Amino acid sequence: MLSYVKRQGKRIWMLTVRELRIFIRRPLLVFCMLIAPIFCAIFFSTMMSEGLPQKLPTGLVDEDNTSTTRQIVRILGSMKTTDLSRRYPTFEAAKEAVLHGEIYAFMYIPKGTTQAAISSKQPQISFYTNDAYFLPASLLMKDLRTTSEMTGLAITRETLRAKGLTDKQIMGVLQPIVIESHPISNSTLNYSVLLTNCIVPGIVILMIMLTTTYAIGMEWKKGTQKFVYHDMAGGSVPIFITGKLLPQTVLYVLQFWMMYVYLYKVLCFPCQSGLFPMMCIGVLTVLAAQAFGLVMFGIFAGQMRMSMSASALVGVLSISMAGFSYPTTAMSPLLIKLSWIFPLRDYFLIYSNQALNGYPIEYAWQPILALLIMMVVPLLFIKRYAYAINHIDYVP
Amino acid sequence: MFRELIESWWHDMKEVFTDIGVLIFVIAVPLAYPLIYAYVYNTEIARDVTAAVVDDSQSNMSREFIRKIDAAPEMAVYAKCTNMAEAQDLMMKREVYGIVHIPKSFEDDLRKGKQTRVGVYCDVSSMIYYKNLLLPCTNASLEMNKLIRVEKFKNLITDREREVAMQPVKYQHVQLFNPQGGYDSFLLPPVLMLIIQQTMLLGMGMAMGKTREKNRGYALDLNMHLTHPVSVLLGRMMIYVPLYILLALYMYTVVTQMFTFPQLGHYWDFVGFIIPYVIDCCVFGLVLASLLYRREDSILMFVFMSVPLLFMSGVSWPGSNLPDFWYYVGRLFPSSYGINGYVRLTSMGASLKDLHSEMTGIVIQTAVYFVIAMLITRLQIIRVEKGRKLGIDNARLKYDKKLLEE
Repeated sequence: MLSYVKRQGKRIWMLTVRELRIFIRRPLLVFCMLIAPIFCAIFFSTMMSEGLPQKLPTGLVDEDNTSTTRQIVRILGSMKTTDLSRRYPTFEAAKEAVLHGEIYAFMYIPKGTTQAAISSKQPQISFYTNDAYFLPASLLMKDLRTTSEMTGLAITRETLRAKGLTDKQIMGVLQPIVIESHPISNSTLNYSVLLTNCIVPGIVILMIMLTTTYAIGMEWKKGTQKFVYHDMAGGSVPIFITGKLLPQTVLYVLQFWMMYVYLYKVLCFPCQSGLFPMMCIGVLTVLAAQAFGLVMFGIFAGQMRMSMSASALVGVLSISMAGFSYPTTAMSPLLIKLSWIFPLRDYFLIYSNQALNGYPIEYAWQPILALLIMMVVPLLFIKRYAYAINHIDYVP
Repeated sequence: MFRELIESWWHDMKEVFTDIGVLIFVIAVPLAYPLIYAYVYNTEIARDVTAAVVDDSQSNMSREFIRKIDAAPEMAVYAKCTNMAEAQDLMMKREVYGIVHIPKSFEDDLRKGKQTRVGVYCDVSSMIYYKNLLLPCTNASLEMNKLIRVEKFKNLITDREREVAMQPVKYQHVQLFNPQGGYDSFLLPPVLMLIIQQTMLLGMGMAMGKTREKNRGYALDLNMHLTHPVSVLLGRMMIYVPLYILLALYMYTVVTQMFTFPQLGHYWDFVGFIIPYVIDCCVFGLVLASLLYRREDSILMFVFMSVPLLFMSGVSWPGSNLPDFWYYVGRLFPSSYGINGYVRLTSMGASLKDLHSEMTGIVIQTAVYFVIAMLITRLQIIRVEKGRKLGIDNARLKYDKKLLEE
């Protein structure tokens, strides 16, 4: 028994060493396994380093230009999201500026607004947003709306002051119900926490699937699959695959861990669960993604290009399917069911249960089970692999 | 030279159109991928995001507030819980994405003319949950505040002034473009432009890998006598450019109309914009493809780039807030200009005149990448000549030896 384990261990070791030699000769593989994910981690975290976009260029068309309308400018100027430094003489000029991408939104105060407000004629001010740019438009909409609301109330406040009400009483009249928002675990609404935490693992998962199918398919391409299978792996598919993928597994797991240290210790993103559970989830995710690649290769037995193309399709699509940008729950019922087979979707659910919200892990049993099932599915393909090794040649 | 151009074009044409792997990337993917994406985002707007309500007040006014938020299309009251712990349990199970907590003193405070605070607790694993829960609550509060103000004003001022005092200045919000605020109308136009660039890179990279594999590592066919880099490049461009102009027209007409994406721009403005963009992508592809040595390498190299490129274009993350470094890195890729130009054209109805900065970028890029591609091809021609002097068999031997080492 012991000698059997020793013999198999030696086989895996030999294959691993051979695999490492291949890595050295193919810089592109190293690029994919190391440089691309690190690049993405740095790219996304530095790109969104300000968290919530601030000082978004916004325009103002103030045809009225009185002390009251200048107060609007002051209110807007005090808001973090808005940068109200651009003035336009007319509505058309502002719209033109939107068209040229100079501003994302503008506020329009027509002539005579103050006069009309004072003489109780209820004038109207407007704000315009460019929703072709989703994020800045929805952030600015919030600011501009609050300002518009406050503008009107400023005038009412003066009336009430004149009637002799105290400031506290005035607030009870002006804004009786206050909505207090509590974004759980991400109180500053940091977009980097939201996106970097999910996109970077998404790209690593994509790379895992691609390099899995690439590394295995390479044997067919070089025509060495029979040699490796019979002479090195002793005719065993699991040994063949373990030996080929073990170096990648180690590399990717280390990368997930490095990423967690970077995100949770260096950038101090919320990690309610602590580092250890996330590290375990990292291992689980790497194995599940590799299993996914293996299944793809099994389905397109021996066809490297097709299995890589399919992995690429799933990998890129999973960034949409995961549901951190557009919620999966809002998609069609068929897609909601299908979403379970995307490793990134499951990862996202476990991550938000653990690191983001710090809930008890048993609430995430479904995605964990999904990843575990994904890990054993390749076992169904052992026979197909053996067949592919012995009977199917590389198709360009 | 002209003869060489035709020869080289015909040769590459045969190579591309007999290679199913390349054809998948340059025909099947551009045809199918827009449809897949449109299907994923088909629902456009997330409706009825579920929330739990903890109503400690149990009063007429709190019930009115709940009715109002439940009626909003953005959210739906999924459960009424007796305490926060119960609501939190639903949240952990992901049955609800937020909790609205109405305090015990809600109605009392309002009657006494004091401010009262409604807590909205949101799961922010997706910002859309947050947005969809906060908006109806804010709207409901503003609406109720207005009515409460009317009540309060009863004693203070006359009936005639009341309506005005309630809201001395009215305001309106106009969504200039993408008026439904649909997620697909926002994301799909950029994705279409990205698909053009990325699939072209994938296809060209794969074709290049094939040439190198067939010709023992050389980027040109050893059996052809090519001398002019320009004719080689033009020959390749004459395959991809017309093909992708057709595909772009398919995206602009069939895909856009099938899923009713915005299509404000003028048709001829689109044509005038897309031809330079496709040429730019093609020239850029010629440069990048020359780095690849094996067929499948293009998949490893190009697929992951799509996501960072989408962000570098300044559409997902506001371009005004991109750090300078990433902004200029983004300017190296045709997609950054293509995406912005196309969004402005279709979603915002800009004309070619308005796209001045994008067009300038595209033209400069095309010129620079063409010169680089020419230099690379020149080098390749010299290398092939050298190889031929050694004798094709010797040249092959050299490459075979390299292969065997692996």
